[in-house]
Amino acid sequence: MSESRRAGAGVAIRGPIGAMGVAAALVTMAALILLTGVLLVEAREVLDWRFFLDPPSRVAAEGGVGPALAGSLWLTLLVAAIAVPLGVGTAVYLAEYAPPTRLVKAVESVLTNLAGVPSVVYGIAGLALFVRGLGLGPSILAGALTLTALTVPLVVVNCRKALRAVPDEFRWAAFGLGASRWQVVRDQVLPAAAPDIVAGCCAALLRAVGAAAPLLMLGAVSFTTFAPDSPNDPLTALPTQIFAWAARPQEGFLALAAGASVALLLLMAAMHLVLFAHRRRQRGTSA
Amino acid sequence: MSAPGPAPPALSTERLTVRFDGKAVLRDVSIEIPLGRVVSIIGPAGSGKTTLLRSFNRMNELIPGAKTAGKVHFRGVDLYAAEIDPAEVRRRIGMVFQEATLFPKSVFDNVAFGLRAKGVEGDLHGLVEEALTVVGLWSGGAEVLDARALDLTAGEQRRLSIARALALKPDCLLLDEPTAALDPAASAKVESIIHALRHECTIVLATSDHTQAGRLSDLTAFLDSGRLMEYGATQELFTNPRNERTESYLTGRLP
Repeated sequence: MSESRRAGAGVAIRGPIGAMGVAAALVTMAALILLTGVLLVEAREVLDWRFFLDPPSRVAAEGGVGPALAGSLWLTLLVAAIAVPLGVGTAVYLAEYAPPTRLVKAVESVLTNLAGVPSVVYGIAGLALFVRGLGLGPSILAGALTLTALTVPLVVVNCRKALRAVPDEFRWAAFGLGASRWQVVRDQVLPAAAPDIVAGCCAALLRAVGAAAPLLMLGAVSFTTFAPDSPNDPLTALPTQIFAWAARPQEGFLALAAGASVALLLLMAAMHLVLFAHRRRQRGTSA
Repeated sequence: MSAPGPAPPALSTERLTVRFDGKAVLRDVSIEIPLGRVVSIIGPAGSGKTTLLRSFNRMNELIPGAKTAGKVHFRGVDLYAAEIDPAEVRRRIGMVFQEATLFPKSVFDNVAFGLRAKGVEGDLHGLVEEALTVVGLWSGGAEVLDARALDLTAGEQRRLSIARALALKPDCLLLDEPTAALDPAASAKVESIIHALRHECTIVLATSDHTQAGRLSDLTAFLDSGRLMEYGATQELFTNPRNERTESYLTGRLP
């Protein structure tokens, strides 16, 4: 399948539409390379191993992203652990089980709308609900729950799309052989949709990892001397750290902000690698 | 029509009407499929052939907006009764769809799927090989079991989809356009399989190729716009149709 797609791309280069497509792709890639390049140049003086482990400091040259990186890792793991099962489960229910009643359709459209709500709105809701309502304070856990609220609708929407893309004939073939609905879903539909489900979950998680606004609303700290080692520790994360450093007038802190951005990009790249590895494995076993 | 003979028919419908989103696709169809016979359902595209087949093993209810009225009996048992498990119905009354839609797995896994879903324990090789033998895909070499189903030729894929249904040893087999889009050689193989299967189970066959109906079936039903226009011995229906719509269809004059 990938071979034919690649061959198709080779043919498509010919002709004006193809040329425009190639040009657009080159511009996008150039922009990405330029962006990364600027960040690396800006951050050249701060980037070393120490930077990824040390806490922030009053003295720009001594600052690091240790706590913020640890905070972002905590957030990623917690959000993934809560939002993925919840979101995938909801999507499976909506796409495979729920009868198309008015209530179900209403739930679906509410979720679709929630997926488009600006992240800062989740910050306000999280502040009222988790930080104050549940008395969690501005903790990693409060941040994770807020980001989960933001991520779940995205996971549901992406996964529902992935499940809908599995043709009905596929389900019928399995039903026709006397499979129960759960057997159809578990043995045929989910494996067929798995690559798109993983991609959809990753896309949703990447949005959560990159979100600064909701965490700022919750009261994320940007100056903490120790890395969080439990969900009850003060909330700190890379995007809010970048924001805090970039807002400092002194010269050295802009380099720190650039360095923290590189750290964030590396974290996202690592998540992409997970996705990539999964795709490769999929291709190896079934395709 | 409802008075059964000495042996109850394998399948029968009574005033069966199926609607999709309010639009009737089958209207008032009453038909009896005798035990151990091959019955063809012919008719123009959109006449309800597939819907009639699918109503025999409760596949229509998987389509949102489908409503079934009337009765369907399997050996005198009401298939749509509340206590009937549709999965069990589909095991006893197997179906081969127009599209082979094989699972992107090995040949073995495709044939074993229904057995595993049924909860058959232990070594499935014997049952899988038996089903593959019937469709001529088993020649004793184990490598075919591990072959990827989607690497097979179109004809082999169709035969594999028949084997998949046969592995459950169904009492009835529903075949929807079993040779559509196959070349003549592959079609001939599928037809010879159907011919051999007549001794194993009752077969209902939907086909838009009425010469195929003539070659394979004891009885033929002609559907038009969701109505059963004519039903009888194949020979009789072909040589001496009572309904003028049937005659127009058979002679290619039906619009």
